[in-house]
Amino acid sequence: MTTPREARRIARALFRESFTDGRLDEAKVRQAIQQLAAAKPRMLVAILKSCERLVRLEVERNTARVESAAELDAGLRERLTAQLQKIYRRPVAAEFRVNPELLGGVRVRIGSDVWDGSVSGRLSELSAAL
Amino acid sequence: MANILQEIEKQIAGAKTGVARQNVGVVREISDGVARIEGLSDAMLNEMIDFGNNVMGLALNLEETEVGAVILGDYIGIKEGTECRTTGRLLSVPVGKALLGRVVDSLGRPLDGKGPIQTDTFYPVEKIAPGIIKRRSVSQPVQTGIMAVDAMIPIGRGQRELIIGDRSTGKTTICIDTIINNARLNRAAEQAGDKNYRPLYSIYVAVGQKQSNIARVIGVLEENGAMPYTIIVAAAASDNAANQYLAPFSGAAMGEWFMDNGMDALIIYDDLSKHAVAYRQVSLILKRPSGREAYPGDVFYLHSRLLERAARLSEQAGNGSLTALPIIETQLGDVSAYIPTNVISITDGQIYLETDLFYQGVRPAISVGLSVSRVGSAAQVKAMKQIAGRIKGDLAQFRELAAFAQFGSDLDAKTQAQLERGKRIVELFKQNQYNPQPVEVQTVVLWAVQNAFFDDVAVDKIKDCQARMSDYLMSRKPELMAKIVKEKALNDALIAEIKVAVTEFKQTYRS
Repeated sequence: MTTPREARRIARALFRESFTDGRLDEAKVRQAIQQLAAAKPRMLVAILKSCERLVRLEVERNTARVESAAELDAGLRERLTAQLQKIYRRPVAAEFRVNPELLGGVRVRIGSDVWDGSVSGRLSELSAAL
Repeated sequence: MANILQEIEKQIAGAKTGVARQNVGVVREISDGVARIEGLSDAMLNEMIDFGNNVMGLALNLEETEVGAVILGDYIGIKEGTECRTTGRLLSVPVGKALLGRVVDSLGRPLDGKGPIQTDTFYPVEKIAPGIIKRRSVSQPVQTGIMAVDAMIPIGRGQRELIIGDRSTGKTTICIDTIINNARLNRAAEQAGDKNYRPLYSIYVAVGQKQSNIARVIGVLEENGAMPYTIIVAAAASDNAANQYLAPFSGAAMGEWFMDNGMDALIIYDDLSKHAVAYRQVSLILKRPSGREAYPGDVFYLHSRLLERAARLSEQAGNGSLTALPIIETQLGDVSAYIPTNVISITDGQIYLETDLFYQGVRPAISVGLSVSRVGSAAQVKAMKQIAGRIKGDLAQFRELAAFAQFGSDLDAKTQAQLERGKRIVELFKQNQYNPQPVEVQTVVLWAVQNAFFDDVAVDKIKDCQARMSDYLMSRKPELMAKIVKEKALNDALIAEIKVAVTEFKQTYRS
């Protein structure tokens, strides 16, 4: 079911108020949600769902999900995070995960951007080209 | 075997080795051929979205966190959670002479089973129309081969002439006749080695029509040898709305290639009423706000940007042209409906077809009073212009008098003569379908009726007399016909020759 327009509007207003210096402020978000839950407005669930979606997208935008075929050492992790922050010109948190299906290399997803340097990605690209 | 290995090696070398950034999104909702995608932050308007497995989409709605895209092709395989990516390419179709004689879909993929289309040139489907500086006014004619049109509602190369009328009044037939006539002219010029003749290539865009209708049109064109100069873009009624919405734009892109390369092309949109309906469907599913008759607010812009792409380019810009013949189907003759009024105001004139006339046997059922060509007379062949100028007036007078004569009062000899002349002109303008007439024959026939050569022929014998006269002129007087084509205008000497020829024919004619 689609979210009512009014609920989306309120959620967007709350979301916009939760920023400090251009970054999403966790404390502000928590406070806004608590106040909202206490006030129990109409369409509370729809507003919360809409809010959750906006916060999730913002968190994804600032989080790099790094998948690698093997465990990365600390030095490499640091270099990778620094490089991503340089590219995106904003603080980026990195989450590391081992995914053997990649066969080799690294795949980074940050927001809707994907940097695919994995062997499986290249193989699928090659198979598409052939 | 060695060749295959080389090929694989080439592909491996060509495959990207660096890590490139891709912009991806996830399908959140899919219904009726429209996907709502979360992510795709870099998507551009009208960009192609790759859903994998050779399924492409077109980004039409760019929202704060979502992208609305129409799927071009089979969307059954796409599910919630499917990952898709931007391609950085605008939707493009193959263009060029390789498409002539082919039947393609709205993405330029062949539908006729004649193998792949050998072209490496692509044009974007959406393109801004040529600007003011690049254009010049219409000055060359499009010969439709239909006497009523060529004489009274002339069409010029680069013009947009609307063909409007109720269902089954002969709208498509006028266009098919035009294609056939131009194919005939193209072939004649090719065979004669005439370097000065500018061939006119045709593009027929079928939107939301029955497959059987499209097959019939292709059959007629093939039968008359017009296919080698024609491209057919088909988005049948069974195609999804997105393909129907795109087909006219794809056709326009194919036509623009001819125009940009200094050639002339004619494009027929059959029909824009169904196109508007397809666009309405796409817009409603995309949840765009609806306006009058539930059409979206930009339905005027949809058609104006499409028809603005028809133009006559200046010498500096290559001297090419794209003529557009959009078709609109009215409901019960209501030209004041939303889409008909829009397209009437966009085009440079309209040919209005009436059901009543059609059933009276006046075919093509052109209503001379309501039809108009705003720019075509500048392009009309001079000889025809000299004669046809008076015909329209005669016919208007005839209609006025005919309405008056219905009261049954006694009429004076002059009025009687005018009525009789009018009846004969109406009879002459009747023409069988797929039987276009050369302009020089039309000129002589019209000259003959104006100069009282048909006055002594009974009204029901006029068609017979006209057919025999045409045969006589083409078989016995080819030099005179060639002279009219060459000299373009009628001078006293030429008129004297025409008079001799027509008198000679009249002496031999026995009804």
